[in-house]
Amino acid sequence: MIYNHLRNKSLLAICFALLSFTLIAEPTPDAGKTLFKNFCAQCHSKDMKTAATGPALGGASERWSDYPLSDLYSWIRNSQAMIASGHPRAAELWNEYKPTVMTAYPDLTDEEIASILLYVDGVNDGVYPPRPAGALPVGGEVTNESNNSWMYWLLLALLGALALILFRVTGSLGQIASEKTGEKYNPKSLLEALSTSGVIGFAIFALVLFAGYTTVTNAVNLGRQQGYAPDQPIKFSHETHAGINKIDCKYCHDGARRSKHAVIPAANTCMNCHRAIKAGSEYGTGELTKIFASVGYDPTTNKYVDESVKGDEYKAIFTKWIADNYKTEKGLEELDEEGEALVATQWSEIVSSLTNDQKKSIRGPIEWIRVHNLPDHVYFNHAQHVTVGQLDCQTCHGKVEEMKVLEQSAPLSMGWCINCHRETEVQFSDNEYYKSYVKYHDDIASGKKEKVTVSDIGGLECQKCHY
Amino acid sequence: MMKNQNNIWVGTKDLTRDEKFMSEVDKEFVSLEDQIIDDNVGEVQANRRDFLKFLGFGLGAATVAAGCDIPVKRAIPYVVKPEEIVPGVATYYASSYVKGGDFCSILVKTREGRPIKIEGNDLCDMTQGGTSARAQASVLELYDTNRYRKPMLKDGDSWAESSWMTVDKMVGEALSQGSVRIITNTVLSPTAKKVMADFTAKYPSAKVVSYDPVSSAAILEANEKNFGQRAIPNYSFDKAKYIVSFGADFLGTWISPVEYTRQFAQGRKIKDVNSPAMSRLVCIENHMSLTGSNADNRVLVKPSQQSAAIAYLYNKVVGAGLSTQGLDATVTSKLDKIAKDLFAAESSLIVGGSNLTNDQLMINAINNKLGNYGKTLTMSGASLQRQGDEREVAALVNEMNSGAVNTVIVFDANPAYDYCEADKFTSALAKVNNRISLAYAPDETSALCNIVAPTHHVLESWGDAEPKQGHVSLIQPTISPLFETRQKELSMLAWSGANVSGDQPYYNYLKSNWSHGSFESALRDGVAGHSAGGSASYSAASISSPTKVSGGDVEISFVESVSLGNGQFAGNPWLLEMPDPITRTSWGTYLAVPVNFDGVRKFVGLNDLEDGDLVDVTIGSKTVTVPVIQQFGQMPGTVSLNLGGGRMAAGKAGTGVGVNVNDCLTVVDGRAQYYNTNVSVGSSKGKEEHFSAVQYFNTYGVKGTDAATGEEINADEATLGMAYGLSGYQGALVDRSVIYTTNQKDLKENLAELKKKRHHAQHLNEQTLYPDKEYEETRYTQGHHWGMHVDLNACTGCGACTVACMSENNVPVVGKKEVSKHHEMTWLRIDRYYYGDIENPNVVYQPLMCQHCDNAPCENVCPVNATNHSAEGLNQMTYNRCVGTRYCANNCPYKVRRFNWLDYTTADIFPANQPRIAGEEVPYGADNLTRMVLNPDVTVRSRGVIEKCSFCVQRIQEGKLTAKKEGRRLVDRDVRTACQTACPSGAITFGDQNDKKGELGKKLRSPLNYIALEEINVRSSVTYTMKVNNRDEAIS
Repeated sequence: MIYNHLRNKSLLAICFALLSFTLIAEPTPDAGKTLFKNFCAQCHSKDMKTAATGPALGGASERWSDYPLSDLYSWIRNSQAMIASGHPRAAELWNEYKPTVMTAYPDLTDEEIASILLYVDGVNDGVYPPRPAGALPVGGEVTNESNNSWMYWLLLALLGALALILFRVTGSLGQIASEKTGEKYNPKSLLEALSTSGVIGFAIFALVLFAGYTTVTNAVNLGRQQGYAPDQPIKFSHETHAGINKIDCKYCHDGARRSKHAVIPAANTCMNCHRAIKAGSEYGTGELTKIFASVGYDPTTNKYVDESVKGDEYKAIFTKWIADNYKTEKGLEELDEEGEALVATQWSEIVSSLTNDQKKSIRGPIEWIRVHNLPDHVYFNHAQHVTVGQLDCQTCHGKVEEMKVLEQSAPLSMGWCINCHRETEVQFSDNEYYKSYVKYHDDIASGKKEKVTVSDIGGLECQKCHY
Repeated sequence: MMKNQNNIWVGTKDLTRDEKFMSEVDKEFVSLEDQIIDDNVGEVQANRRDFLKFLGFGLGAATVAAGCDIPVKRAIPYVVKPEEIVPGVATYYASSYVKGGDFCSILVKTREGRPIKIEGNDLCDMTQGGTSARAQASVLELYDTNRYRKPMLKDGDSWAESSWMTVDKMVGEALSQGSVRIITNTVLSPTAKKVMADFTAKYPSAKVVSYDPVSSAAILEANEKNFGQRAIPNYSFDKAKYIVSFGADFLGTWISPVEYTRQFAQGRKIKDVNSPAMSRLVCIENHMSLTGSNADNRVLVKPSQQSAAIAYLYNKVVGAGLSTQGLDATVTSKLDKIAKDLFAAESSLIVGGSNLTNDQLMINAINNKLGNYGKTLTMSGASLQRQGDEREVAALVNEMNSGAVNTVIVFDANPAYDYCEADKFTSALAKVNNRISLAYAPDETSALCNIVAPTHHVLESWGDAEPKQGHVSLIQPTISPLFETRQKELSMLAWSGANVSGDQPYYNYLKSNWSHGSFESALRDGVAGHSAGGSASYSAASISSPTKVSGGDVEISFVESVSLGNGQFAGNPWLLEMPDPITRTSWGTYLAVPVNFDGVRKFVGLNDLEDGDLVDVTIGSKTVTVPVIQQFGQMPGTVSLNLGGGRMAAGKAGTGVGVNVNDCLTVVDGRAQYYNTNVSVGSSKGKEEHFSAVQYFNTYGVKGTDAATGEEINADEATLGMAYGLSGYQGALVDRSVIYTTNQKDLKENLAELKKKRHHAQHLNEQTLYPDKEYEETRYTQGHHWGMHVDLNACTGCGACTVACMSENNVPVVGKKEVSKHHEMTWLRIDRYYYGDIENPNVVYQPLMCQHCDNAPCENVCPVNATNHSAEGLNQMTYNRCVGTRYCANNCPYKVRRFNWLDYTTADIFPANQPRIAGEEVPYGADNLTRMVLNPDVTVRSRGVIEKCSFCVQRIQEGKLTAKKEGRRLVDRDVRTACQTACPSGAITFGDQNDKKGELGKKLRSPLNYIALEEINVRSSVTYTMKVNNRDEAIS
């Protein structure tokens, strides 16, 4: 009997081992990529080779190789503490980059940091993202697929084999034992062994655990859309405007400094520049004519068209403009076949981008697709963060100046907000408003307190964002 | 009065300690079974199988939802952004709220071009930033789903939509037939009057007929006789030390209540406790009016004897010998004393609501004799807020009957409902060929017309108003017209042949006729410079003895409703839901009956009627069935009914609510008299199905008697006490501090007692095992600590704050049925308590909102931490965490938490949970038009969560942000709550308790202050003041 019992136990143990193996996160560069996007990408460049707000991360592990790995880990978790402790490498970096303070991430686990480092090194060495053999490196993002899943399968097969062997071994042991004691031995088939109450119970337990884990992780991500980058009615490139031409974000998004909304600029804001720049650097007349059509501006005569102009008459203004441009560009007198096709495509593009079921008229507001959506019960105010907190737009929106198509770079989750409120220092000394926090001022003066974070003045309270 | 502390009550039930009531008091929520049984929701009989089905559906729905893509949301910017609009930032426009003679200078808060809230205009020296419930609610009227959307033509019995071109053509034809009459209520706009003049110049046969829904014609006639000026005097209630009101409800409804409330409160606030110089107000009336409830003394006189009472005082003051027969000796002795005191008073003011010219001539003579002209009232800057005379309508009725009228234009009036002889008007109107209405929404009169040329809402219109001579206020549109309507003034202009083409023709007309200084500065400020005319001198007119009216055993008085007026506001759900300040009833017309006190313990209503009994009342030839409310202070032998009910065409919400008694008024001398002596009241014929009086709901701190031991217990804790075999829980708490009152002359003594009591409570509160001292040292010592101060001596109970709160915080309207189940959602209620003499009590109003306790009992019972405390002293409610256990509400000693029993705001997806107010197809709150009124900065709550006053946290955050952006310290004006800005008397002060130099810091130093339920150590952040009255025991 005791052997039977033992056998069941060993089976259980094997199953547990299998399960724990799948649930405990092994550091992977894929996980590192997500973590890097969430925590690091705001300050460290993606190519790992150029310095941005923070240093280039490529080769960081090597640079820290003189010290124990735990030093690098603590540095990543809380750099200021390391600097304060007088670590030589920390001091070196601080001298180079002060006064820029790296945000502390005390909640990062060892596995997570390891994942980030795997990703960083992978990108730096050009082995991440992995490419299928024989494929040539091409421009743009290559969708990466998990390439180490075969390892899991191999391990699973090994463990399965091990379980089978053990099953046989325990069976044989049982037989030997029964021979010795003279008891009659009933060898159990594999099916019988797997259908004992213990195994079934365990299977149910494992299933519930797995289902719960999956449900919770998926539920947490429900409604979040990090990485969301929809096609917009106009192929507006932030890279061209904010990156190459260095237009200040707040020139167009003028609500950011004074309102809760950053505001998508009205089309007449576009016209401030595009009355002069009438053909785009990338698409020529293709995209810009959409703006002219939406505001009713005739680019040929440089005049706004009367509201009464409609239908074919309205169409003619813009098709003429596209055709004329084409002719000038090609040095043609008459529109050739190719040109006619171009005019037709561009016009049909204009119609499809600017109209929909509700909006029949081409003239009128451009219906952009919202990329950053907060739930209705969240109150967020741009002015508070931009004007009062003096945060860079990139802190939450990522490197917009490098985006051809705008993408949501941050998760916009509550945890993400809260973490920033925990870490971010309030512009305490410059703003007269905070004078009413007498005690904190005293504490700073007496050195009792180093800095006042948003959470110190109630930034974690429910009714700061939910009312 | 402190020794009479026990003698504070809300109604008969707590006075008699009705056992059923007492046991219900601590049950704030009716049981779930009761809730489900008679609901439309409740038709679902849930059993185990259903539960499994729902569970399965729930899981399935969640899975499907999880699998779906997130819907694509669009962001649509302007094409050309208006310069003054920043999306997300409110824009305020100075304008005026005008409805008939009702006036209030306002600021309109707009967000992204939609008006969402009305605020008072500080620059107006009449209202000085005050508002009324009606003005607050006017923004909802803009989004009334019932509005006319296009010009309409009657086609047989039905209506057909038409175009302005057709209508103008038809009207032109009608006008060419001549003999036109324009019927309107008081027109305050000088420019509109010019429009009328232009119109009558074009059609010389046209005549303007003007009347008011509640008439003040007698005052106008008396002043014409005495001063040669047909106007209402310019009253200064702040300057009068002794005020006598003969049935004029000047704090509630009479002429200009916002202005008068501010003035009156000036004379009632205790600025220095050592020399409290308060005015005295004596009301001579039969019904407890809002003014009467704020009076120091009330002298009860039957409506039929009101004239005799005025004549008696006139005799005493002026020294005449008019006949005053029928007047009771108890009344005359009091009037003797009043006359004596009036002569002794430093200054005085007599006002009267009577609509008999002779009465008003006597009142003028008394004021003149007492030397009040030039001091407390003057004809310079006279009020123009009532200009009509119902005699003109009577003349029009005769003309129409004789066939002399071809066309009637209803400019701004609803005579088929609110004229005192409406049936005569209705039958006469049928004889007129062309009946044109300029109504804004369908009403009883427009239903009788054959052409409707709908006008804009006042928030869509240009215009001006001259409520007092020389006091001009501008009206500007705050939104583009929502529908194909045309401003009524413009329609008149168009019909008189003026050129009305162009973008904003009436704006051009208004501007070209502007003669009050800079138009731009008036546009910015809302008001223009003040230049009152000279003062006319008094010349006596002949006064005769009042005609003796044969009184009945029972007499009835008809009272203009504080919220609904005479029905003009009855289509507005906010006002329908707002309880009457005195009877505390909503959604209906309730008969106030007197309560007889047997001297021992028993209180019996007239004919043994109890609250909620249905009763037949026969007034003249008309019988109405109305529910009863027992009313303290109602004179024995009299009953009263509110006007403004029983509208037959007042939209989804207002139609058929209550009963119409306009045709029960008596007409004497061609003028409407707001009483009837030919009345009989039956006995109870059952209970009203949905008795919606909030009088006893949420009563807190009430005492009762334990039936078993006969000992006095606290009703809130009765259950607990009984369960443990105790008589009361912690016996010492029976004497709870809810209201403190005192007479002015006992002030010192009672202040000392209050101090002792508070000291005792604070001493007990300090005895704690918790490290309170440490806690206090770390909390609230820096940054903000929000608090509120409510001056009960200034509060008149008008209810402007409650409507302002609903408007600001997206508080839903729940309808009569839900109100009857204690489910009203108001975050701020005004508790009405009686005290003093049981037969003729004084009243104190206590606005009660969440007290934001720093040691809040609600917070530590929440299982999900949905309600917790902020570092700034706010008791925060997080709707998304709330799972609806209602533990917090049960543990709230003030009973200020509200539960969303149903999906009142229609935020859910399950339509079965959405209540209907009046059987409407789309629930009131779900209509996209109505939803435009919602404040985008406040979450719309869904079913199953608790909500409560947040101290307008959205305003706090906005105020803080403004200060931060400007890099300066926060000051008082940055953060003002909705109730505070709405209050016409300045009773509410909100601010930072840490700012000792601020407005609140100063008020918190008054020795009159107390904290409600201080002894239970919840450390509330709201401070009240002791109510001080100036009652003269000799006339009580």
